[in-house]
Amino acid sequence: MKRLLQISGGIALAGAGPWGSQIPSAFGAGTQKESLIIEGIGETEGYSVHALTQKVFDAAGGIRQFVSKGDVVVIKPNISWARPPHLAATTNPEVLESVIALCQEAGAKKVRIADNTIHNAKRCFAITGAGAVAKKTGADLIHPRSSLMREMKLRGQRLDVWPVFVPLVEADKIINLPVAKHHSLSALTLGMKNWIGGVGGSRWSLHQDIHQTVVDLARFFKPTVTLIDATRILIRNGPSGGSPSDVVTKNRLILSSDPVAADAWAARLFDAQPDRIGFIQLAEKQGLGTGNPEKLDPRKVTV
Amino acid sequence: MKAKHLVRIRRVSQAFFLLLFLFLLVETRIPADMYFDYSVFVGTEQDIRLDQPVTFFFELDPLVWLSSLLSGGRWIQGFMWAVGVLILTLFLGRIFCGFICPFGTIHHLVSWAKPALKGNRMVRANQKTASQRIKYFVLIGLLVGAVLGLNFIGLMDPISFLFRSVALAILPALGGGIRAFFDMLAQSDIKVLNLSSYAAEVFVSPVFGYAAVAFHTAWLIGFLFLVVLFLNRIRPRFWCRTLCPLGALLGVCSRFSILKLEKYPERCTNCKLCTQSCQGAATPIPGRKWESAECFMCFNCFDVCPEQALAFRFKWAPHPNKAPDLGRRAVLGGLVAGVSLPLLARLDGQIDKVSDARLIRPPGALPEKDFLTLCQRCGLCMKVCPTNVINPTLTEAGMGGFWTPHLVMNQGYCEYTCTLCGSVCPTGAIKNISVKEKIETPIRIGSAYVDRGRCLPWSGNAPCIVCEEHCPTSPKAIYLREDIVAGADGRNLKVQLPYVDLKRCVGCGICENKCPVKGKPAIRAIAAGESRSLKNQLLLGA
Repeated sequence: MKRLLQISGGIALAGAGPWGSQIPSAFGAGTQKESLIIEGIGETEGYSVHALTQKVFDAAGGIRQFVSKGDVVVIKPNISWARPPHLAATTNPEVLESVIALCQEAGAKKVRIADNTIHNAKRCFAITGAGAVAKKTGADLIHPRSSLMREMKLRGQRLDVWPVFVPLVEADKIINLPVAKHHSLSALTLGMKNWIGGVGGSRWSLHQDIHQTVVDLARFFKPTVTLIDATRILIRNGPSGGSPSDVVTKNRLILSSDPVAADAWAARLFDAQPDRIGFIQLAEKQGLGTGNPEKLDPRKVTV
Repeated sequence: MKAKHLVRIRRVSQAFFLLLFLFLLVETRIPADMYFDYSVFVGTEQDIRLDQPVTFFFELDPLVWLSSLLSGGRWIQGFMWAVGVLILTLFLGRIFCGFICPFGTIHHLVSWAKPALKGNRMVRANQKTASQRIKYFVLIGLLVGAVLGLNFIGLMDPISFLFRSVALAILPALGGGIRAFFDMLAQSDIKVLNLSSYAAEVFVSPVFGYAAVAFHTAWLIGFLFLVVLFLNRIRPRFWCRTLCPLGALLGVCSRFSILKLEKYPERCTNCKLCTQSCQGAATPIPGRKWESAECFMCFNCFDVCPEQALAFRFKWAPHPNKAPDLGRRAVLGGLVAGVSLPLLARLDGQIDKVSDARLIRPPGALPEKDFLTLCQRCGLCMKVCPTNVINPTLTEAGMGGFWTPHLVMNQGYCEYTCTLCGSVCPTGAIKNISVKEKIETPIRIGSAYVDRGRCLPWSGNAPCIVCEEHCPTSPKAIYLREDIVAGADGRNLKVQLPYVDLKRCVGCGICENKCPVKGKPAIRAIAAGESRSLKNQLLLGA
């Protein structure tokens, strides 16, 4: 009961203004300094995911580059499927936990976890580990529901008005925390495609023009920073997976303030060429970022 | 003990068991903070189970136990509770009806709140009538039917009746109403009202859940419930006196109860207050014989008598109480009904001849014939299902399977790693399977097929892979083949065409549920291929 009060109370505070008036804050977040890209690699046996996450953010100038004191931070993991963490269909809970801890260290007023899941949300929370993370860290885990879906103007090329999961736009800072996976239509599910979990409605019709709709969504949500979880990746049977044999361990985290560059860099883990992937190509063409991460002077850190 | 105290204890007990029933009913769902500790994950699927003993009232119910035993030859889990209730009845009479039964308590409340009948009219309404024999007819009919292989008990069993009505009709309707109210507030321009809509999350979600739920034929379930409640205004506790088969069973068992109503006719002034307050129409008035089989042990008469002409006493009497007034017609009628029911129910051929494509049973359901000997139609599986896919049947299972559970894929789908329905089934009509068992056997509930005329890529309308994307098996049962199809404007369209591999498909229906082709989805799940039936198969040697 107390938790519920927390969740709803928190949203009530953030949503005190009329709906949608805070969207510009989401847009504003993108107007940053230089874009950068960092790849963190866990090289030692039994390395700590927390240390790796910390190091990746440190290399980017520290979490305070992205999160300021008193911010309401919303994290968008990919916890769409009620699959246990080792099947790589969802964001690694250890990474999620580490990012939340960093945000809290940076003085975030409130950290929320929000994803409009595909499977039943309660089961997703229980099985992916996101629920346990929320309990441990005190972050708010927001249960998707129709009252939190608002129709908003996305101003995209393919998507005009669409129901949006409001906690993802009503925050000071948005952290995109996807998992890197195979996908049968878009080739890969990375950062930009993670925003399919940010909308409601008949979102499965987006697949009829997946690349443009993904770019439209990425343009609308524009995260403060993208951290792609590639500690283990799903190389076939995506995006839902289901068998440990579909999973390959990569021990990598990719951080970038440029959502296109992050995806392009992560695509190489699958031996895919970024310029062959529709949504990366389109996003670059439409000015969301660069599909050529080499331009951003990528740095590597290891633990 | 003083009568006043007895009545007070009864009220406390009634309130306690009614609240317990409602609590367990609401808790028949995934617990709100059921989170697995991912750090100790050993790499296998874990089973989500409920924290609360949600089947408790079904274990307590002697009819559920008896019908499962007579019909399915099965000793259900926790049946000792029911045996306990029967033993209690042998000593104390229908104390279950007066002190425990949550449905009885609701009838009691509806009858008691601002009584519709006053004074003499109430006295007349509380006279024992021949209509009270109907419950014996119902009991005998249902039990004989159960012995002959069709367990209809759940349609009339008070615990099943109440659970079904509240879980499938009353709760969803209330939830919908309250949610609509708060949505109205949310639309408001007045800030205070607008903000107060968030109270909905606090008050509504813990009880009613986050999403609206719906159940087929819930209108009928709710309507019957209201009718049965309304009957209390004509005669108090109408259901308990006249219709309840459990009341009839306990009534028969109360013949030898040692807690007896002692009457002192010499003190009686014939004020009839005892009859006026009698819940069971059990003839409490001195001068006539007390009907122990009709008495709910509510102790109202004891409490209300101003002359102490009545008292409940423990007494090892040499002769038993007055025999229950079964009536020869009720017994014979019950026998005839019991024999005809299973025969009639087979006439539509659903059990022996046809298997309806829409009759997709929950995962772990027994073969149809065995299933119908055990299913109580109580709605536990429907209430607990996280996707709201399990619905009561209307005609899909034939007359014999009325209101049994089946899966309606445009409302939900069967989650691949979910086994909750079997874990709460009070009689084991749905086996309590583990996730490992469900996936590795695999337990199929049906199979999917592509409707190529409606499918977007097959019909040349648009690329789409949604069914394949959602397919939960690994490797996927829905696979794609790249192809060129002719679009409407004559141009070639490069698409991936979905195919179903029947060897892998388990019939979960998530493809149908998520298919963007609305109305009639382009990929649909049917019961054919379900592992519980030897007959209903598609492939040789599956």
